Amino acid sequence: MTVDQTRRFVTTTVEVEGREETKVVEIPDRELRPWDADERLEIVGKPVPRVDARDKVSGAAVYTSDRWAAGLLHVALVRSTIPRGRATAIDLDAARRMPGVVDAITFSDLPKAGKPIRAGGVRFLDPEITYAGQPLACICAESAAQAGAAARAVRITCEPAPFAITAAVATAENAPAVRAKGGNISRSSPMVCARGDTDGGLAEAEVVVRARYTTSSALHSAMEPHGAVAEWHGDHLTIHEGTQGVFAVRDEVSAALGIPRSRVRVVMEHMGGGFGAKNHAGAHTYAAAILARRTGRPVRCVLGRAGEQSDTGHRAPATIDVTLGARRDGRLTAIAATALVDQGISGWEASTARIFHELYACPNVRTTETFAYTNLQAMAAFRGPGHTEGAFALERAMDELARRLGMDPLELRRRNHADHDQEKSRPYSAGSLARCLEEGARRFGWAERRSRSNDAGRGKTMTHKGESGDNFPAGGDPHPHPRWRRGFGLAAQIWPAGGGPPAYATVRIHPDGSVDVLTGTQDLGTGARTILAQVAAEALGARLADVRVILGDTERTPYTGNSWGSMTTPSVAPAVRMAAEEAREHLIEAASEILGVGVEELTVRDGMIVPCTGADPVPIAEITAQLGDVTIMGNGSRGPNPRGVGLMTFGAQFAEVEVDTWTGVVRVVRLTAVHDVGRVLNPLLARSQLEGGIIQGIGLALFEERVIDERLGLPLNTGLHEYKIPTMADMPEIDATCLDTVDTVANPVGARGLAEPPIIPTAPAIANAVVDALGGVPLNDLPLTPWRVLAALGT
Amino acid sequence: MHLVVNGKERDVSPAPVESLAETLRTRLHLTGTKVSCARGECGSCTVLLDGRAVYSCLTITNACEGAAVTTIEGLAGAGELHPVQRAFIDHDAVQCGFCTPGQVMAAVALLTATPVPDESEIRRAMSGNLCRCGTYPRIAQAIRVVSGQAGAP
Repeated sequence: MTVDQTRRFVTTTVEVEGREETKVVEIPDRELRPWDADERLEIVGKPVPRVDARDKVSGAAVYTSDRWAAGLLHVALVRSTIPRGRATAIDLDAARRMPGVVDAITFSDLPKAGKPIRAGGVRFLDPEITYAGQPLACICAESAAQAGAAARAVRITCEPAPFAITAAVATAENAPAVRAKGGNISRSSPMVCARGDTDGGLAEAEVVVRARYTTSSALHSAMEPHGAVAEWHGDHLTIHEGTQGVFAVRDEVSAALGIPRSRVRVVMEHMGGGFGAKNHAGAHTYAAAILARRTGRPVRCVLGRAGEQSDTGHRAPATIDVTLGARRDGRLTAIAATALVDQGISGWEASTARIFHELYACPNVRTTETFAYTNLQAMAAFRGPGHTEGAFALERAMDELARRLGMDPLELRRRNHADHDQEKSRPYSAGSLARCLEEGARRFGWAERRSRSNDAGRGKTMTHKGESGDNFPAGGDPHPHPRWRRGFGLAAQIWPAGGGPPAYATVRIHPDGSVDVLTGTQDLGTGARTILAQVAAEALGARLADVRVILGDTERTPYTGNSWGSMTTPSVAPAVRMAAEEAREHLIEAASEILGVGVEELTVRDGMIVPCTGADPVPIAEITAQLGDVTIMGNGSRGPNPRGVGLMTFGAQFAEVEVDTWTGVVRVVRLTAVHDVGRVLNPLLARSQLEGGIIQGIGLALFEERVIDERLGLPLNTGLHEYKIPTMADMPEIDATCLDTVDTVANPVGARGLAEPPIIPTAPAIANAVVDALGGVPLNDLPLTPWRVLAALGT
Repeated sequence: MHLVVNGKERDVSPAPVESLAETLRTRLHLTGTKVSCARGECGSCTVLLDGRAVYSCLTITNACEGAAVTTIEGLAGAGELHPVQRAFIDHDAVQCGFCTPGQVMAAVALLTATPVPDESEIRRAMSGNLCRCGTYPRIAQAIRVVSGQAGAP
């Protein structure tokens, strides 16, 4: 890492979820030598099991919804059942008389100090209704069941108003006003981004393909719903919340309630998944905090499943018109895309267009994006926001281009390989899409794929056992009957995942020799707790079993940012390494004094102080026991990112599908994924992250679609039965791997982010395989449900 | 009324239509059993009722008089792990962990009824337990290993 050593504070840029943020950051006192490819690492890079797995498999791990306190009260939210209008009267009398009810509030009961509280993009408990599911009142009772029963007794009188639930309706002439203030599109819409001369590039093209692609509104559907437990001690508020950002929740609650940040403590120990939906304080947080203050008792607010599915964010569906121009040899001359994104009632502008500028080499690119507001729950980041939707459109269009050119889709991508960041004319820190494509093709057997087509299987006898639905084959050979068609597809991915400052960590060694790592990040289920323990153990020379990682507590752990944008590993691991290295130095200094050996003659390895003189190693615990309460500590922070390089991840996925042309059912038979994310800190956990992204991508490709009744403006599938996420029965054979390259430029640990990249190419790879199976019949709308497949087949 | 929970006699006084999940979590403080959908869609609340896997959110406690209930907390002795729990750890069949207790209970029920399940049997038995993190391939592997059908991760 190159840093300007003359200044302590510098201005730098950090990419978060594809957005670039400029920040002033502190340059650490200490510069870490990057762990390069030849570094002998004994714990980092090893497939060690999760450090918290034992607690999780035994029921000992405590989640927000498990937290209990003496006198605990429960909150149920009362939600709007119309998409637009005004609640003119909210009658709480009947609810207040229900058994167990302690308190009930509406907008008029909220603290008046300061600006209105905002949750999910609207004013908390605002009687102005802008989507169905918007909270209008909170009922607080002795039990969750009593709160729920009383919530059903609340009578709300509404004046309905015209609404818009699709971006097309919201942006049409004379559209109803989606919101009370502001128009129906975002202030920066349309966002135009261009390089080169797209019209010239299209004129120069020998082949042009044009098509419209649409993606669905997908729901995060974490297994643990959003929840918070709030408790006041005097003027000090403590909130346990299953959040991706304890410090973000602290800051938002502090601003909303008008109390200093130092008086709000937010804690997150374990959470049941986030996927982008849990980055902020929400209605549940404010309800718990406000009712805890009013009642003087601890208050828990955990959403029910319907609330979770209808009011915690969604992947904004996009309609993307793509035009690609190319020479006969396949080289792109122009890329143009126009996107209309349906945000819901609010949300940030996750660019669906950016991937068109990044993924393939092309001198002429022009994209236009319009972000429309509609009377639906707000957009929230959802694993690879924007890039995932854009990748579907771009990669489907690339396959159409390959078909028009009569070219192998892999060859087309080879010929348009981007070997540097074209937008900023800078190299990548490390990594290459080309290697992912080639290694993926090799593992998948892309060149030999036709040997697995149905025609190749014809003449063989096959037995499908059991009735339809009883048979859940994984993998398997092609069915010889022409009813089933096999197809093969691929797609690629790029995603910024370099992380960045600020992030801090502290390491302390107890008198018993055990090590605490304190850092304010969160483990959503990603494995952050484990890989940070590995990094600390490696850098300190401790045994992994002696390291405990304490995360997510705004009062007791140093700051790190939200766990989003695949940022946690590259942001926090370098800070942890630095803290552990400082602690190791101090440990050696102490050992030197106690053992009477020079510091230069001591190293620390596997929990032992090892003299290079050949004398017997001494356990760390012996040194720290002699030190007693003199505590060895180390502090670390994340330095700025290197200038002049792009910090990106790359990946390619290959899918084999079988389509039942009688029913339209698509089954993914196998999927091969190869990603380049820099150093892999733990291959066991990395594979899980890849598989997890791929499986969510299968949902996006085949099943997941929030459905709205267009007449009433109400969501129809707010349960996990109606909103289909993948199950074990839907699993293909998955071969997911990372090229274990080391990125010595990005940061001293050598790892970039990993969580979001694998979802990005899955849906287009599957869709391209389905189109291949059906001989080129275009399928351009997600998800590829049986009825869409049958419609495409004309049956 | 009377239940045998994890081998111990327990007297509880549930509300008339209280679910077993609620009784376990709120009256007995056995919070290892998770509630995610509360209507039999996800399997997070799976427990063993007289050895059979049930969704405790759809099981009325009052209908379980005298029944033996095994939750995740009671699957192995204190400080010990059931082989399925051990395999879940070794094969990383855990991410956020919220569905994990239900997955483990469903896997234990499967292996009790069918000690060496084939692929279809694994998929059928486990497809009533949702996991949003996507641990399915690892869970299937853990089950194969416990049933002696596979080796290393």
